[in-house]
Amino acid sequence: MGLDAGADDYVAKPFNLQELLARIRALLRRGKPSLPPLLEWRSLKLDPSICEVTCNDQLVRLTPKEYALLELLLRNPHRIFNTSALIDQIWSFEELPTEDTIRSHVKGLRQKLKAAGVSDDPIETVYGIGYRLRAKRDNSQGTKARRSKTSKQSGMETGTETRVETVESQADELLKIWEQIKETVEQRVVLLEQSVGSLHQDQLSEELRQQAEQEAHRLAGSLGMFGADEGSRVAQEIELLFEVASSLNLKQKQHLTQLVVQLRQELQSMDQGQLLETPIPEELNDQRPCLLVVSLNSLLAEQIAAEAPRWGMRSQSTANPVTARAQISKQRPEIVLLDIAAANALENYWMLLAELSADTPPVPVVVLTEQESLIDRVKVVRLGGRGVLRQPVTPTQILESVNQVLQHTQPTQAMVMVVDDDQQVLTALQRLLIPWGLHVSVLDDPLRFLDTLEATHPDLLILDVEMPEINGIELCQVVRNDPRWSGLPILFLTAHSDARTMHRVFAVGADDYVCKPIVGPELVTRIFNRLERSRLLKSMAEVDALTGVANRHHSTHDLTEFLLWCRHCHQPFCFALLEVASLKQINQQYGHAAGDAVLARLGELLRQTFRSEDAIGRWGGGEFVVGMAGMSKAEGIQRLAVLQNTLHQFEFKAENGLLFQVTLQAGVVEYPQDGADLQALYCAASTVLR
Amino acid sequence: MTKHILIIDDEFDIRAVAQLTLKAVGGWDVSLAASGAEGLTKAAAEQPDVILLDVMMPDMDGIETFRALQANSSTQAIPVILMTAKVQAAEQRQFAELGIAGVIAKPFKAMKLPGQIAKTLGWDES
Repeated sequence: MGLDAGADDYVAKPFNLQELLARIRALLRRGKPSLPPLLEWRSLKLDPSICEVTCNDQLVRLTPKEYALLELLLRNPHRIFNTSALIDQIWSFEELPTEDTIRSHVKGLRQKLKAAGVSDDPIETVYGIGYRLRAKRDNSQGTKARRSKTSKQSGMETGTETRVETVESQADELLKIWEQIKETVEQRVVLLEQSVGSLHQDQLSEELRQQAEQEAHRLAGSLGMFGADEGSRVAQEIELLFEVASSLNLKQKQHLTQLVVQLRQELQSMDQGQLLETPIPEELNDQRPCLLVVSLNSLLAEQIAAEAPRWGMRSQSTANPVTARAQISKQRPEIVLLDIAAANALENYWMLLAELSADTPPVPVVVLTEQESLIDRVKVVRLGGRGVLRQPVTPTQILESVNQVLQHTQPTQAMVMVVDDDQQVLTALQRLLIPWGLHVSVLDDPLRFLDTLEATHPDLLILDVEMPEINGIELCQVVRNDPRWSGLPILFLTAHSDARTMHRVFAVGADDYVCKPIVGPELVTRIFNRLERSRLLKSMAEVDALTGVANRHHSTHDLTEFLLWCRHCHQPFCFALLEVASLKQINQQYGHAAGDAVLARLGELLRQTFRSEDAIGRWGGGEFVVGMAGMSKAEGIQRLAVLQNTLHQFEFKAENGLLFQVTLQAGVVEYPQDGADLQALYCAASTVLR
Repeated sequence: MTKHILIIDDEFDIRAVAQLTLKAVGGWDVSLAASGAEGLTKAAAEQPDVILLDVMMPDMDGIETFRALQANSSTQAIPVILMTAKVQAAEQRQFAELGIAGVIAKPFKAMKLPGQIAKTLGWDES
């Protein structure tokens, strides 16, 4: 179908010129297309924008059903789909496949993927339940432990995206190399077996002896790389024995035979994948995010565990960093609460904090301290802590901030709002869309439309054209006339695809439409197309292009949210106003390109220095703001001093070759002492700056 | 600056694993040579930051290759790390007398190799 193949829209012939023009306007409104994210599983890549599947850059040809099946699994990595769920998702209402049909499609898909060289079968059969995507190897305990060790040993930054990805796929790559050399290894062991046979018959030629010694040497040097340490050790012993093969007594010869047999066994167990890391089974049922509480205060841990389900989390607890490490290696939590209030030796806690932040991906950590603690918050942040809470706080407040950090770190899922007076359609859409990782809010009463829109803040709106009281066309007009919602993608559901209806729909600002009865895959494809485009537009609207930090509008939103949170949890809030000194003179003296270079560099430094729990924004020419939740003024000044120093040491080069340096001035204030709201804090900071 | 490393080993799997891990974990540029002779040419042409050299190779072994590298003024200064499955003390001493930068025992652990090389050469944790 044209849309799946990457077309943006279609017009049925014979077409109506008005309709065509309206559609073109709708397409133009969307702005530049972007590349939607690739879905990946090891060497397998699926590009939803062009519906293409590749393995090691080789195209894999799939039928539409096989493709839909694979995309569904890739988009829902943890979910198990039983056959009826698959039928709902992938087959349209008219087709009525049996379980056998599904099985044969799964089989067909598996065969094609295997033929394309995908290592392991990405589709895991969960016996008696259904199918799901096989967990990636990075869930295995062995890999993680090794990975964090390596990153420390080699002193490498694990922060950069590309490196993290390559490390993740390394186990797979290693497996591939093993696949390639398996044959050779096999031949080497066969040669050893032959040589041992000849030796027992006293017929071992010098040539064969040398060869056997060499092959054993090679095996010794190589097997350990693939995890077979014992194999390497055995091979080394074999090598030494072959070196002196002519002078071996009977007992030594027998020992050599045993070693070769043992080597063969090692090889067999490697072949069955026993020595390469085996993924540990993960908990199937509970997919709620897991909070690990590291605290000596068992009462607090209990209280948190009791309340966590209300926040959609589950909680585990452990007493100290040492036991925490064991716990984490068993099951990786989504977030950690590190209670250092009653702890005396902090070094272990800092180590754990640094380890968790260096993990890939980092595990966010919230640190809980005593009321009058002299804990260096700046140190906590530098080690990667996402937040500091000072006692006294209630378990509810703790969970509230834990939840907030979690929201910031987890990829946000798109919210789709559906308005239709037919309850059956709403239920069908919910069942259809939720497995694709979309949040779905449904409304059957168009009169409550505006309230629901405000409350749910959807990323995409689906409207039924025909509804009593207010119809979809009118709702669409309401949305398009409100500047806050003008960019919201709108998709229409309609039973009538006549030219007049189509024209009305596009004329009021719709982005797309889907005909009833709804065909699942088509609707899903259209929804994802819309979402991916509007996400790009949104990021263009929220981020300052030159510096890469949020613009004033967007950062104000973040700052206000942080401020509210600090007020609620009685935490300090540090607000800083930053200004590049005499930017105007720099522009005049060295040119605007040089001025822009300064701003871009500053933006880069700001993004490096401040994390997701801080809010940064560019508010005007050379004016930037930083909001640090949970930080005092003194702590904020300390963090900014590093930034100011780094920027000052940087030498900028003007077009005329002149070198110059810049100074960053900062006005730092604290809530609530210096101001009760954002505007007051801004004014106070401006006064400090002047 | 990205480090550039040349691996000289006649075994495919050693080259492949070393290349993989040095690229992925170390983030270094990697060149490969399957024989001592090829290694000499590449070392002279590419001027790597370090050479990882297998001791036991057919035709020209690691020790001969190392001597040839030393004899050529353009490759003389490049540090060389030997890879060997035999790490007896006597051989270690013999290697050290050659003037190599270090020895790495085979089989190496894939994930640890970049760290071992960095440590041998004193490349700091930057």
